[in-house]
Amino acid sequence: MRQLIIRRLLQTIPMLIFVSIACFAMVKLAPGDPVLSFVTPNMHAEDIERIRHNLGLDKPAYVQYLIWIKEILSGNLGYSLINHQPVLDQIVERLPATAGLMGVSIGLAFLLAIPLGLIAGANRNRWVDKLINLFSYIGISVPLFWLAMLLMYFFSVKLHWLPSMGMRTIGIHSVFDVIKHGILPCFVLAFGFLAVYVRYIRSSTIGQLKEDYVQIQYAFGSTKRTVLFRHVLKHVLLPVITLLGMSLADLVTGAIVTETVFSWPGIGSLGMTAVRGMDYPVIMGITLFSSVMLIVGNLVADILYGIADPRIKTRG
Amino acid sequence: MIRRKSMFGIAAVLLLTLLVSACSGNNAGTAPTPGSSNAPTNESQPKEGGSLIIAVGADPVILNPNYAGDRVSLTIDQALYAPLFQVNNGEKTFYLAESLEPSEDNLTYTLKLKSGLTWHDGEKLTADDVVFTIDKILDEKQNSFLRGNFTIGGKPIQAVKVDDLTVEFKLPQVSPAFEATLVQVSPIPKHIFENEADLEKSTKNKAPIGSGAFKFKEYKTGEYVTLERFDGYVGGKPYLDSITYRIAKDTNSANLALQNGEINVKYVDPQDVGTIQASNKFEILPYSEGRLSYLLFNHNSDTGVLGKKEVRQALSYALNRDELIQVAYTSNEYADPAKSILAPDALFQTNDLVSFDNDAAKAKELLEAAGVKGLKLRFIVSSGNKAQESISLYVQQKLKAVGVDVEIKAMDASAYGEKFTNPKATDYELAAAGYIMGYDPDAYSILFTSDGDANYSHYSNKEVDELFKQGASEADTAKRGDIYKKLQEIAAEDAPVYPIAYTKTIVAVDKKYGGLEEAVLKPVVIFEDLSKIYLK
Repeated sequence: MRQLIIRRLLQTIPMLIFVSIACFAMVKLAPGDPVLSFVTPNMHAEDIERIRHNLGLDKPAYVQYLIWIKEILSGNLGYSLINHQPVLDQIVERLPATAGLMGVSIGLAFLLAIPLGLIAGANRNRWVDKLINLFSYIGISVPLFWLAMLLMYFFSVKLHWLPSMGMRTIGIHSVFDVIKHGILPCFVLAFGFLAVYVRYIRSSTIGQLKEDYVQIQYAFGSTKRTVLFRHVLKHVLLPVITLLGMSLADLVTGAIVTETVFSWPGIGSLGMTAVRGMDYPVIMGITLFSSVMLIVGNLVADILYGIADPRIKTRG
Repeated sequence: MIRRKSMFGIAAVLLLTLLVSACSGNNAGTAPTPGSSNAPTNESQPKEGGSLIIAVGADPVILNPNYAGDRVSLTIDQALYAPLFQVNNGEKTFYLAESLEPSEDNLTYTLKLKSGLTWHDGEKLTADDVVFTIDKILDEKQNSFLRGNFTIGGKPIQAVKVDDLTVEFKLPQVSPAFEATLVQVSPIPKHIFENEADLEKSTKNKAPIGSGAFKFKEYKTGEYVTLERFDGYVGGKPYLDSITYRIAKDTNSANLALQNGEINVKYVDPQDVGTIQASNKFEILPYSEGRLSYLLFNHNSDTGVLGKKEVRQALSYALNRDELIQVAYTSNEYADPAKSILAPDALFQTNDLVSFDNDAAKAKELLEAAGVKGLKLRFIVSSGNKAQESISLYVQQKLKAVGVDVEIKAMDASAYGEKFTNPKATDYELAAAGYIMGYDPDAYSILFTSDGDANYSHYSNKEVDELFKQGASEADTAKRGDIYKKLQEIAAEDAPVYPIAYTKTIVAVDKKYGGLEEAVLKPVVIFEDLSKIYLK
């Protein structure tokens, strides 16, 4: 087990180096010049050059890369080119909003997806399955921003039950208020996740139901319900672990579209602003941060897998 | 859809890079009453108390007027920091300043401050603060983008303290545009920033101390900025208790929030006006932004064909300005036809000029006379920008009628911006763009003089260069007016660009608020003086 973890940790090093180079290169190659966001036409050419120099943007690309890496290793993700605040602070500041929103959404999605997926899989091609499938296809194909607008229109503008935007009523700092603001975005996000998860769990259930142990349980006289929820469920949870591991990155990167539509002050909307403003350090900071989380998520998933399914350990 | 909105955001940023002087302008739609008393003319009595929520499209970049260049920061700073004075329709409204007088030789301006001014923290606001502010703008290490305005011919304007309430500005040469420069300045407190090495990165900007109608209370990143009433405000105690700027990045959802009452003031797009108006809860106020929307001719393109005046005139003849306005801005309610390169808020602007418009036969004739046949032009468009896309399609169709082929090249917004502002880009001929330059016509020189830093069309006419130079240092108003009139006539004849329209901004304000006229609608910042707004 320990070997597995160490090996996987070592494997992440080249991966991280690759990710850092790739995201640096992509941002570098993208059209647009960050200096432009400082420029107004009544600036003279020498002013522009002075700003470029002050920002260190006149140095060769590989030097800029090495400086960046060196700073990252000492815990400094750099400063935003736009508002000059430390990137790490900005990410950390927005982390709770994003983690809360995504955590609840993903959790909710899983809680609903597991029974729905099991039922759909067990009743393959019957009306329950078709109904669940219909919903999950709708969830996959409906653009979330559209769903968001629709819900906002009904629940905020028409019914006045829920606020349409933001995370807080201005000046009010209570948990209840945040929850009230979170209901709509959570629902939208959970709906999107749910649709995908249900499909996974359904097909996994179908696969499991063909296994010998299921037949044996039936032969022993177990009811369908016991087989499904006591035995099949355990096996179905295996792919769910992988899904969870991958969702860990979502947990910190947030949802760009949904956060923007609801003006939710998370990392997704931070990233959106950074991309608009060609804010290199922030874009790279978020990319790197989420890559690390994705890698960690996969690592955790692997370890959990090992615990849940001992065959992997021996093979690993 | 969302992606399109984000592109729109980039376009807005681009526009901002063209935003030279943001703090000036006029109000075509309203009748501002500069310097009027506090008593509103409205029949309903103003009440004290209440709050106002204004939608903004992004987080403010920096709440320090020496650095604010983006729309949101400028908007919030307008409430947070009182200006020295503002200009509307050529008339000054004094805020912190009591008077500004030029000397006989026009080389020294004497600024008198009102007495008894204080900062939000209770400290006295004096001439020291004004001088400190100007010195920091001029300090090269401080990276203030206002610096360029405070140098004339490479030499800085000096600010000298005479006494606690008097500052003298010494100019290296006569410059009537100096007042337009000073309009952009809102003093920052010396006692706060004195010992800061880098003002831009200073943590003091996170809890700004200003002198405006409202003082800083709270900023929640990505959520809102709240300001509260400042009783010691130079314009009198504000009616409202607080102003909140709510950060709403998505236009559609912000429109819903507006209708839901979670937002009280918001910019609206022409196509959304109908929906908002239907609720009958809002005043819809279109007002001039002092912006010219125009079709750019790149005189420098590798084919060189647009360097010829006759060809530019011919292309202009092929288009129809009124149709173009319908196409790009849905209605002439939100855009006035433009003929001059100066926007209507500029001093000495005239729209009584020759214009080559809507005459396809004449266009063909001119093209033939110029010996141009089978002309092919490239039109660059920032993809997702609706106005640009519609303009390009319209131009393509109209020019086809006179035998000119237009190839539309849609590109990513930042690639577009880079190409547009790159003086060496020669692989396109046409683009749709806009600029806001403020009220002094000298500001336009960077766009149209041969060596202008923002001369993106690469227009070059010695006579125009000379007139800009004369206008910049002519102290006599009548003579200066003649210079700029002549300049506009030459530019109209030369057709360096095809002026389309002076566009308007539309703001929706909840009907429960009054005092909007006294608050004066202002380009970029929405309201000049929020202290005048009250709950009916």
